[in-house]
Amino acid sequence: MDLMRHSSAFLLPSIPDDGPPPTYALVVLNQRLPRFTPLVWKHAQLRLCADGGANRLYDEMPGLLADEDGNDVRNRYKPDAVKGDMDSVRTEVLEFYSNLGTKIVDESHDQDTTDLHKCIAFIRDFTPDLDKSNLCILVAGALGGRFDHEVGNINVLYRFSTMRIILLSDDCLIHLLPRTHHHEIHIQSSVEGPHCGLVPIGTPSGSTTTTGLQWDLNDTEMKFGGLVSTSNIVKGDKITVQSDSDLLWTISIKKV
Amino acid sequence: MEARAAQLRLCADGGANRLYDEMPGLLADEDGNDVRNRYKPDAVKGDMDSVRTEVLEFYSNLDPALREGTKIVDESHDQDTTDLHKCIAFIRDFTPDLDKSNLCILVAGALGGRFDHEVGNINVLYRFSTMRIILLSDDCLIHLLPRTHHHEIHIQSSVEGPHCGLVPIGTPSGSTTTTGLQWDLNDTEMKFGGLVSTSNIVKGDKITVQSDSDLLWTISIKKV
Repeated sequence: MDLMRHSSAFLLPSIPDDGPPPTYALVVLNQRLPRFTPLVWKHAQLRLCADGGANRLYDEMPGLLADEDGNDVRNRYKPDAVKGDMDSVRTEVLEFYSNLGTKIVDESHDQDTTDLHKCIAFIRDFTPDLDKSNLCILVAGALGGRFDHEVGNINVLYRFSTMRIILLSDDCLIHLLPRTHHHEIHIQSSVEGPHCGLVPIGTPSGSTTTTGLQWDLNDTEMKFGGLVSTSNIVKGDKITVQSDSDLLWTISIKKV
Repeated sequence: MEARAAQLRLCADGGANRLYDEMPGLLADEDGNDVRNRYKPDAVKGDMDSVRTEVLEFYSNLDPALREGTKIVDESHDQDTTDLHKCIAFIRDFTPDLDKSNLCILVAGALGGRFDHEVGNINVLYRFSTMRIILLSDDCLIHLLPRTHHHEIHIQSSVEGPHCGLVPIGTPSGSTTTTGLQWDLNDTEMKFGGLVSTSNIVKGDKITVQSDSDLLWTISIKKV
């Protein structure tokens, strides 16, 4: 079974120089922007807004960079595209970004998939100039708010399970650990942890084994209605996970 | 205010801080101290690693003549269950005066914040699946629809909806059938990686659901 390595290097001020860095793409959803949005924006080669995420960028980015001129911020933090069914983005926001050269991709005809799903598919299928050999998609504003939205975002991780997608909020991040691999998670303790969890969403897990956690699992069964690993603690700088099931990994993000 | 309708009010650990700090702001027309004295929990329960000492003292010192004093139940020795789990077990096992023939437990502040906390709270719904427990946030509510029953959900459209969803969180669902939704399910399979009913819409004032799996029902709460 192949090894898959994970790291939250994108939360660091500069990406460490230990191996080829991933290509980051950023998708901004319609929730309050996490306070680290300018940082992940800087690391990203491609930036998309999903529908009302454009409102958030327009309204809130100046506040996250309060030392700078608001209009200047809006002009600099320009997404490459705004995509979705366009039922939330304000007309004047769409015009502002369109006038700056942002691609507007109206998918209002497609009601079967969420705005995030459309954005992920767009990144996968319609970005020939983006180096996808080591692509990692960061999704800001993916958690909180309406629970069904959150669930829809989590389901996108499962529907695109061969892609690296990380859901981000101010409080924590989530990504998939596919059962097809065993996993090494490198902990950036200056920016994340110590609270973490492993969640068998969608299907029970007959056997999961970990190292590096305060309460490690040892061929342990996990399922809703029984044991689910929440309020766990990372002990060192490397966690390993092997499971017979797809699991969600979640870790808290520090508020510095 | 839901607190007026409840017969028993508990704070889980740091929930006592929230009550103390934030209740006056929700009743801004009234005197803050008066609010703190009136909105007193019957117990504060949990591992006590979040609740502030002065808040704990405030509630345990409240004038016993007004009501029986607040019970402080320190469960810091038990690290295997979440604070919510401890509270639910407390309500189930240690409240002889509470009529439990038609009990419904409302949990405020159950969603948002750390995802693993949210998951722990959702897991409590599955671990106490024979009890009615409703997780609440400003934006929405969640409760379990056990597979042992078919369900009728009466929609209070002045306060909830129209956005809703059905989620097979723990295990795939081979067959679910609904009525009353914009996108009804008809013996439809649901699972993560495939179809999960999110961003659905309630069409009328009654939804019915029947499934071979435990499902989570979620509906938005109106901001009026």
